[in-house]
Amino acid sequence: MTLKTLMIGTALSLVTAAPVFANKADDTLHMAITKELESVDNYYNSAREGILFTRGVWDGLLYRDPETGEMKGNLATEWTWIDDVTVEFKLREGVKFHNGEAFNADDVVYTVNYMVNPDNGVKVMTNVSWMKGAEKVDDNTVRINLNAPFPPAEDYLASVVVIYPDEYYAEVGPSGMATKPVGTGPYKVDTVEPGQRYELSAYADYHDSPKGKAQIGKIEIKTIPDMNTQVAELFNGGLDFLWNVPADQAEKLAEMDDRFDVVNAQAIRIGYITMDAAGAVDPDGPMTKKEVRQAIYHAIDRQAIVDALVKGSSEVINAGCAPIQFGCDLSVTTYDYDPEKAKALLAEAGYPDGFEIDFYAYRDRPYAEALMGMLNEIGIKTNFNYLKYAALREKREKKEVAISFQTWGSYSLPDVSAITGEFFTGGPLDDAQDPEIIDWVKQAGSITDRAERQALYSKAHAKIADEAYWVPLWTYNVNYVLSKELNFDPTDDEVIRFADFSWK
Amino acid sequence: MAVFILKRLGLALLVALTVSFLSFSLLFMAGDPAVAIAGENASAEDIALVNERYGFDRPMIVQYGDWLGSAVTGDLGNSWYFDIPVTELIADRLTVTMKLGLFAITLALAVAIPLGVAAAANPNSMIDRFALFLSVVGQAIPSFWFGLILIVIFSIKMRLLPASGNETWQHFVLPTIVLGYYATPAIMRLTRAGMMEVLSSDYIRTARAKGLRTRKVMFKHALRNAIIPVVSLAAVQMGFMLGGSIVVETVFALHGAGYLAWESIARNDLPTMQALILIFSTFYILFTFLADVLNAWLDPRLRVG
Amino acid sequence: MTDTTTPADLPVQAPRDKPLTPGQAMRRRALRHKGLMFGAVVMLIVVGIAIFAPLLTQYDPYQQSLLARMKPPVFLGGTSEHWLGTDGLGRDFWARLAYGARISLMIGIMAAVISGIIGSTLGILAGYFGGRVDMVVTFLINVRLAMPVVLVALAVVALFGGSLTVVVSVLGLLLWDRFAVVLRSATMQVRKQEYVAAAEVLGASLPRVLFKDVLPNVMNHLIVIFTLEMAHAIILEAALSFLGLGVQPPTPSWGLMISEGKDMLLFEPWLITIPGVALFFLVLAINMLGDGLRDVTAPEGRN
Repeated sequence: MTLKTLMIGTALSLVTAAPVFANKADDTLHMAITKELESVDNYYNSAREGILFTRGVWDGLLYRDPETGEMKGNLATEWTWIDDVTVEFKLREGVKFHNGEAFNADDVVYTVNYMVNPDNGVKVMTNVSWMKGAEKVDDNTVRINLNAPFPPAEDYLASVVVIYPDEYYAEVGPSGMATKPVGTGPYKVDTVEPGQRYELSAYADYHDSPKGKAQIGKIEIKTIPDMNTQVAELFNGGLDFLWNVPADQAEKLAEMDDRFDVVNAQAIRIGYITMDAAGAVDPDGPMTKKEVRQAIYHAIDRQAIVDALVKGSSEVINAGCAPIQFGCDLSVTTYDYDPEKAKALLAEAGYPDGFEIDFYAYRDRPYAEALMGMLNEIGIKTNFNYLKYAALREKREKKEVAISFQTWGSYSLPDVSAITGEFFTGGPLDDAQDPEIIDWVKQAGSITDRAERQALYSKAHAKIADEAYWVPLWTYNVNYVLSKELNFDPTDDEVIRFADFSWK
Repeated sequence: MAVFILKRLGLALLVALTVSFLSFSLLFMAGDPAVAIAGENASAEDIALVNERYGFDRPMIVQYGDWLGSAVTGDLGNSWYFDIPVTELIADRLTVTMKLGLFAITLALAVAIPLGVAAAANPNSMIDRFALFLSVVGQAIPSFWFGLILIVIFSIKMRLLPASGNETWQHFVLPTIVLGYYATPAIMRLTRAGMMEVLSSDYIRTARAKGLRTRKVMFKHALRNAIIPVVSLAAVQMGFMLGGSIVVETVFALHGAGYLAWESIARNDLPTMQALILIFSTFYILFTFLADVLNAWLDPRLRVG
Repeated sequence: MTDTTTPADLPVQAPRDKPLTPGQAMRRRALRHKGLMFGAVVMLIVVGIAIFAPLLTQYDPYQQSLLARMKPPVFLGGTSEHWLGTDGLGRDFWARLAYGARISLMIGIMAAVISGIIGSTLGILAGYFGGRVDMVVTFLINVRLAMPVVLVALAVVALFGGSLTVVVSVLGLLLWDRFAVVLRSATMQVRKQEYVAAAEVLGASLPRVLFKDVLPNVMNHLIVIFTLEMAHAIILEAALSFLGLGVQPPTPSWGLMISEGKDMLLFEPWLITIPGVALFFLVLAINMLGDGLRDVTAPEGRN
């Protein structure tokens, strides 16, 4: 290996080389995830990668069409709201679990009642804690009772609340489900090597679901932590599909267009800067001053960062929510990029020479560095602290973080209750602690009238913008890289549905 | 001899205890486990529930006592992340790392000993200089870079070997080269030094004077004596490697114990971390203990210590 | 030791006119030692770059330019505006490399100083007093060796954040074992020498004996280990950076630059090769310097 090859690179010289493996020929899709998944049991993992299994191996009672946004029945065929807190489902007949167990009302009742029981320690309790429980009406009819009116209930039932086989789960429990998962979904799981490798195959008897039948016979999922190694495997033909490929690498891969297709889609995840407006960290700190927060907003050239670093289909947002979420009002006060104005505002707030502050982030280090570079321009000297998510969250809860770059994926739920309801309702991560906003958002989260909810969220977002509690940054996007043999149309919610894959 | 072994064993136990206590206190400080257990997308409510369930409010020393008590009986608790017994989780990963460690040390010995012997037999020759140069160069390349370069050459360009995974022996070739490379210089230097010392000693001169053939002298007499410290160094290196293969395992996606340990730090998976540190240090202690005993057996003068 | 053009067996008592003093002999050995000379020259260059960084580039290593990202170096078709190109945030690569020399050298030196103080104190005390003190120190060394360095370093940095101070301290606190081991046995040997006994008999105070009689005689070992551990610390910092837990950006440490470049390894490999080669030569030079010093100061102990 000469110094020259070390400098110029090897990838581009491989454009014409053909892959070694013929994955289409043996009908097996090879893909990789970067993160070790703790458990494939839907209720006992909180990782984005877990959604692969949630949507591919199991089914919910409902299904939201990602194209039209229309709510359809999946394991249920009809549903009626008896009142604000009771919904009744007619179940689909003739559905069988992968192990042959017949699907009926008992499965729904068992699953819901098991998961809402705090003793069973579901990992993301908020996914189920809005339900009080389920009761059987007859073999094919169940009712789910809510604790209180919960507007996004149907979205939860169409995504994270999936139905388990009662007899099997009673026998094996979460650890059995994690190693030998059984569901009704389009794919069944053949092999689980926890945290390492998973093999799935098409479920031949899949019911007539809006998800559609599996089109590819087998799927192998490997855990490969280093993105370089993943790309190397892609070059070798060892992988057919990569996701979450960083923008720069995706761009280069897109140039090799006779071997790969790069598809970009939006994600629900957004980025934002949150500031200690309530003064919990430092009652007299600069972040408590509205002018300083506005100055920070003015200091950041969001469009430049989106253009240079985030790229893809990402766009700058003016409110702290994803545009596709219900209740996301983007017509709020905005602060254009204007470093001079920012400096003036800082001076007005009593910091003519700026100040020094610890800046925190937990992912996307280059974006954070770019943000800090812009703050430095207006005289705010930043000391960077890049921590693991858990460590940063703990620091925030202990009130040690005055300003940080955050992101939030809203569990892929298309409703702002999953983000505004999470961060502006007075919880430990609410940096604003604005009583008015808390009031509006809480109210919006407990009524079902859409127009009324929209009005309340609009009021909240307007005030958040006026006070510059957050600096909303941009929506995220996901780069998917596909081998030339593969067909896949990603949706804008960062959810990969296995049944959508097919060979060309 | 028995007294010596007992004394050493006692010391080894004490060391293991101290290490486990130190690491426990360190990890205990390392952050709120509840946040880590609840995961990245957890809400405040989820975290509060986790805190309640695990009862993390007890004093550290009590929790350490608890942990030690069950560790003695072979129960290392459940991983907070995978929610399966740590022993089960580790057994699998440790096999991979042990394999890698064994391959790497074998490679290192196979390269280092002949090179060291050749270098010692011909001081200041080309081969001597080459060996010494190699050993200095080896320490100067960051291992992840070396690993990635190997992937580019052997996996992408030549298509000879897989870039990631641990399914077949081919998967171990590149990681073995990277890890073995870093253990080679120390072993080589020690072999060379040992050989030079032995070769200049009286009995070798005598053997030579008696007309024994050089090659026979080299291998039968000199190497046998020079190799003793090398074996104990190899044991120590093996101990280091088990704990030090994190980077290599990450690059090659070998799901071994080192990578597990690193991920466990990120996830604040305290039981797994704690168990791994205990196991790594135990291995190290075990290897050095065996080396001590071996040396003492070979050289009675050492038994006093 | 590496390049062993200074064979110990060469006559030190250079034959020509008059016998050399030990100092002259050492200097002569040093000048003839290619490895040592190579190491010294490279070190001098790196130190020079570190000191004169502001004079060597007009760019600020922290100044970003999102419109000029990843411009290639001049020998790969770039422009002379940024002769080594720019990084992923449009910062001048040469400026970062030059200022980064300061950071990387500082990490190495500070970590080696901390570990040197801890290790040599323990080692000298153990070697001098023996007995109980020796037992305690040996125990500490054993404990330290039994701790997996990379893991513990990772855990600490994850806990306290990756500021320069934290990284340097944790490396310093973890790398003292070799100092202790070597100085312990070196001190034991010195302890047996007559002049130490003489000083004790003459009533010299303990600190005086340790500083005036023991320390100077183990100094050569100290310097050699110092260089080795300095190199070790620099390489370890690079590994920590690779795992995302080294020095925090935007500080331009070479290890961090390598890890920032790694994402584009397959496409823009110069991003990783340039700091990689720089780090390689620095570590190589430090090691050669250390080995050379050992050869020169103790020609008989070469191994």
